Amino acid sequence: MKKRLLWIWILSLVFCLLPGCGSGPDQNRQDDGGQDGGKKSFVFGDTSFNAENEEPNVNPHHAYAGWACIRYGVGETLFKINDSLELEPWLAASHELVDDLTWKITLKDGVRFSNGKPCDAAAVMACLDHLVEVHDRARGDLMIASMEADGLTLTIKTSAPAPSLLNYLSEPYGCIIDMDAGITEEGIVVGTGPYVPVELQTDSYLKLVKNTNYWDGAVNIDEITVRTISDGDTLALALQSGEIDAAYGMAYGSYPIFENDGYTFSGTQTSRSFYCQMNFTSPIMQDAAVRKAVAMGIDKEGFVNTLLNGYGYVATGAFPDTTSFGGSTLTTETYDPEGAKAVLEAAGWVDADGDGIREKDGRKLTVRWLSYPSRQELPLLAESAQATLQDIGVQLELNVTADHNAIAKDQSAWDIYAGANVNSGLGDPTNFFSTHCLDASTKNRGGYHSGRLEELAVQLNATFDRAERDRIAIEMQQILLDDNAFVFCAFLRMSMISRAGVTGLTAHPCDFYELTASLDVN
Amino acid sequence: MNGGKPVTVRKAKIRRDLRRPRLFFFLGLTAVLLLATIFADKLAPYDPYLQNYEISFQPPSAEHLMGTDRYGRDLFSRVLVGAQTSIFSTLALVGIISVFGTVVGVSCGYFGGRLDSIAMRVSDVCLAFPGLVFALAVAALLNGGIVNAVIALAVISWPKYARVARSQTLAQKDSPYIQAALLAGGTPAQVIVRHILPNILGPVLVTAMLDIGTMMMELAGLSFLNLGAQAPTAEWGNMMSAGRSMLQIYPWVVLSPGLAIFITVAVFNLLGDTVRDYIDPKNSRVK
Repeated sequence: MKKRLLWIWILSLVFCLLPGCGSGPDQNRQDDGGQDGGKKSFVFGDTSFNAENEEPNVNPHHAYAGWACIRYGVGETLFKINDSLELEPWLAASHELVDDLTWKITLKDGVRFSNGKPCDAAAVMACLDHLVEVHDRARGDLMIASMEADGLTLTIKTSAPAPSLLNYLSEPYGCIIDMDAGITEEGIVVGTGPYVPVELQTDSYLKLVKNTNYWDGAVNIDEITVRTISDGDTLALALQSGEIDAAYGMAYGSYPIFENDGYTFSGTQTSRSFYCQMNFTSPIMQDAAVRKAVAMGIDKEGFVNTLLNGYGYVATGAFPDTTSFGGSTLTTETYDPEGAKAVLEAAGWVDADGDGIREKDGRKLTVRWLSYPSRQELPLLAESAQATLQDIGVQLELNVTADHNAIAKDQSAWDIYAGANVNSGLGDPTNFFSTHCLDASTKNRGGYHSGRLEELAVQLNATFDRAERDRIAIEMQQILLDDNAFVFCAFLRMSMISRAGVTGLTAHPCDFYELTASLDVN
Repeated sequence: MNGGKPVTVRKAKIRRDLRRPRLFFFLGLTAVLLLATIFADKLAPYDPYLQNYEISFQPPSAEHLMGTDRYGRDLFSRVLVGAQTSIFSTLALVGIISVFGTVVGVSCGYFGGRLDSIAMRVSDVCLAFPGLVFALAVAALLNGGIVNAVIALAVISWPKYARVARSQTLAQKDSPYIQAALLAGGTPAQVIVRHILPNILGPVLVTAMLDIGTMMMELAGLSFLNLGAQAPTAEWGNMMSAGRSMLQIYPWVVLSPGLAIFITVAVFNLLGDTVRDYIDPKNSRVK
């Protein structure tokens, strides 16, 4: 009797658990091509849409939230960067450089915001006015002195020659939004893009619907949900189960799961660089030999080929070799553990007590490495560097934390900052130098200073000739590399993985054009 | 009532006969485990921290018994050396909370008064929160690191021992032999150390033995969530965390430390159960 009861109990348990092995209701959604009651829907999982990345919403005038605005097809900029990292008009039809300080931009006729209001020069001017009022980075980049709006013609006067103005107007913060409609408390805006945000919960989800007033062709998808899934493994499981249709930010370790006919990869080389930034206020990093040894002690090839599964490119300078201002002619240290040991020996760093860590004047060669986990490549770089630097007698103390921004501000708390940045997302080199390398740069975290670099930056900002700008940018990178102020480790091969049947989701070198009107689900 | 069923008598006899060998068997297993942990550095076939990208993700083989991880590190060596962090931290944690909790519990039980009220209200607060959630909050406040994880778990786990020790002390406090000891001129400290502690040690010891497995899981849990041991320290929890994205493709990266946790927790739990059976006064009749 007892045995029979036991069997009944086991069988009922099995029957209860079996349905859990299926893919749930989402499987049905997947099978009908994302169509629910005649409406096409699409769910996108993204690891980077979160407050930690300064993207809490889709308001382009807030920190880096413009990235979310442009990524998810809410906002569009006056100009855009094409696949060859060259500028082309988007909301603008044409431009004219009247004199060194004056730009005349003519807008496309017929462009409307998603609420139906025409996007004319006055609306653009109101948007840019608000942008430079509230956004420090934009104010510094754009250097707008005054603007005039006349029908579809916007005239911008800058306070100094601004050869990169059009590139900066292509920055995601330059998404044109309707200021009359305003910005809601949640950070929802009215843009000109193919999708309209209707509901937003920071760090959780964003709901978008089709923009029925879209000016540039038909939009295929009726409803889109962007889900913030910060954990790469959860993202992989969500894509496998059919809970999401496509994913950005998948963990490299999960790639082989999707390398089959059921899924599509869209990948391209981007200028998102994984770099180390030296802290020049730290006594240990002020030693040029230590900086050089660190540069020689990082195995970039191993990092890219093994830890990133080959989904990356070894970097030399700040920009990819594919750009005209890139790294093909630059020289820097390569991975050379023996050479690094010799450099340290010559500088007086020796391992006298035999513990594997070098010392000098009674001080151990311990370097504090600050990084963050939200870019999955950075913890891998940290652990790889820790092992290779240990081999040359440098002890690396890792602090890989989401609190990196606050810690980085305290220059006594770290020696090397390892981060990720899109260095030439605008098809122009100026932005990287102005944000990371100059005395006035907001992200010159380590207080690096080079007189020659400052001079060249001024020259770069006043030069309109493309070839000359490229030459200056290359010289500036070489200064950074000669000083070992930065070690550029790798460039990201950006990949989006979607289930078979999703079309029009294409990776772009800029890393910020993702959901477009051509997106479709079959 | 059972007198007419000789089978029951036989069963009781068998059980009685097996208790002591079982205790020695599990003590032996625990000793093997601890010896392997102490001599892990010598037993590990490779340097657990040596990276070699050319052999990353090798499946288990004669050369690498548990395979290799993403960095080409030998997992068997890492699991062995990781035992030092995992087991010693757990033992240290259980040692700290059992000693501290017992001291607090005995003091409260013996002296009572305001000390008792305050200490017990504090323990009430600690017990009111779900254990691991409270530990997560404390560990997050203290930042990562295995020492901080041990502190975080110690902060939330001592009240259990304080409660046990206090109730046992209250039961012993008014016993005639304690009164006799006091009348004979014993100071409270002498009475506690010589008479009360030896009599309450059994339940505290059993609680501690049974707690080792739980604490090991919680410590590994904190490390899994990056609030305990930090990379590249070989520790079972963070080894599982580092390999979790590879569970479907390279399962050995996760299963090796997982197996180590399973075996160790099982051995300590079975030892705890056996010790409890062995010294439980309810079983003294058949002993």
